[in-house]
Amino acid sequence: MEPIIRTEDLKKLYRIGKLDVPALRGVNLIVEEGEFLAIVGPSGCGKSTLLHILGGLTGPTSGRVLVDGNDFRAMNDADRTRFRRHKIGFVFQRFNLLPTLTARDNIELAQSIQGNGFNPRRFAQVTEMLGIAAKLNHRPYALSGGEQQRVAIARAVICEPKILLADEPTGNLDTENSQLVLNMLRTLNRSFRQTILMITHNPEAAAVADRIIRMRDGRVVSA
Amino acid sequence: MIVVNVLHRPIRTVVSVLAVAIEVTMVLIVVGLTTGLLNDAARRTQGIGADVVVQPSGASFMFSLSSAPVPVKVGDRLAEIPHVLAVAPVLFQSDLSTHGIGVIFGIDMASWNRVSGGFVYLSGESFRGPMDVLVDDWYAKANHLKVGSTLSLLSQNFHVCGIVEHGKGSRLFIPLSTAQELSSSHDKASIFFVKCTDPGYTDDVEAAIQRLLPGWEIHSMQQFMSMMTSNNLPALDTFIDAMIGLAVSIGFLVIFLSMYTTITERTREIGILKSLGASKGYILGIILKEASLLGAVGIIAGYIGAALVRKVLVGSFPTLYVESMSAGWAAKAAILALLGALIGAFYPALRAARLDPVDALAYE
Repeated sequence: MEPIIRTEDLKKLYRIGKLDVPALRGVNLIVEEGEFLAIVGPSGCGKSTLLHILGGLTGPTSGRVLVDGNDFRAMNDADRTRFRRHKIGFVFQRFNLLPTLTARDNIELAQSIQGNGFNPRRFAQVTEMLGIAAKLNHRPYALSGGEQQRVAIARAVICEPKILLADEPTGNLDTENSQLVLNMLRTLNRSFRQTILMITHNPEAAAVADRIIRMRDGRVVSA
Repeated sequence: MIVVNVLHRPIRTVVSVLAVAIEVTMVLIVVGLTTGLLNDAARRTQGIGADVVVQPSGASFMFSLSSAPVPVKVGDRLAEIPHVLAVAPVLFQSDLSTHGIGVIFGIDMASWNRVSGGFVYLSGESFRGPMDVLVDDWYAKANHLKVGSTLSLLSQNFHVCGIVEHGKGSRLFIPLSTAQELSSSHDKASIFFVKCTDPGYTDDVEAAIQRLLPGWEIHSMQQFMSMMTSNNLPALDTFIDAMIGLAVSIGFLVIFLSMYTTITERTREIGILKSLGASKGYILGIILKEASLLGAVGIIAGYIGAALVRKVLVGSFPTLYVESMSAGWAAKAAILALLGALIGAFYPALRAARLDPVDALAYE
């Protein structure tokens, strides 16, 4: 069976002033469908860049990326945006909820952007599972960090993406809320066979994953 | 989301709505004032009751812009034309300090009465002396005049001898001989109003006068009225266009600035939308919809503003005729305001749509 993610000699250079700064120096990675993968490594090793490329937020400088059978080399910005809309869910360290919208509106926004309409059954299922059904009419400022992150997870998975990309999802949470969020991710992975790639600095968080890969200086050093 | 965003930034929203409202109010008031001025002049000219208007060559339908006067005896020759019932010579006098671009009619009461059917006196009576003046009711109200009051005109003190119903040419009437004396235009007139024995003879009388006075401005009242549009008044259309341009620029610039600062403020939000898969069109749509909403509320506020300003103007200046908002101009003002808002929002919207999602998400 074809892996859901495959990268071959993936490189990314950032131009800063007159200097080319390599963020990825040839990453080869294979992720199977339904896998929960933790990516660990020191700051600046290229973890977030790898996640951004896999999510189609930015393109690679060279190398090959195949995600769910889609070759990013053949896709322009609009194609990658369409791909992201239907196949990728993002969870960020800083939650990134829209502050003007309620929890409900933040979650529904993802469905609105996807354009497939509101699915009340899926909405109820996800919000119940994440334990935020009673908080749906609250704005982000009225929610705790853990609740905000659970709303962000709900928004990321409401459209049933093929892959959930989580960039340090517990980075801004205390131990109790971190554990709660990690349990939710684990449940999503086990109950719905949700493929998850999670960046983390926290070894305890990484231990929740099926597999851990370590990055250093833009390369995968152990998988 | 659009409504929430607009409500979330109340100061920006109020300023933007105000700018559009000022734009719409300006357009409607400028148009109301200019068309009101023309329509008022047209109504009063029609109210004289003449069938043919005779002016020397180069004269304007705006009486205050009329050319040099001509001998009053021309009127005697006009009176000899078949089917002419009466001819009223009038000498125009302008007193810009007190009457704006309005004019004082110097009239010969006997011939004026034959052409116009006479004034309706609300109080007082006709001229008794050379320094008598008749004022219409609107002018009397605006200037708190009554019969017996003294009115300073043309550097002279006039005695208000009567107050007449408005709607017959001017708001101020003095004896023709006094007007001639004060302007050193002895035996001269600016215009002749001709009354036919029957309106059916208007064309015949007009043709006969054209033969008698070739090169003169001779028009039936119907033609004369059709000339009283902004197109025929030098620079009026340009003035209206300039004022509309200024008003639209205000709306455009404020919406542009408002949306531009909003985009900077909301860079991270745009990054979030992009991470959710929002296309450039979706982002563009959000910003343009917000601008449209601000524009729509501004347009409604502008309609209310225009109605209020009109009410204040008419209340403060009773002789000023401000045309009420027409459906056509209300629609034009709305379209201009909406277009201004959309064009103003377009560049910021495009900038937002083109933001790099990674940079936008990293924006502090």
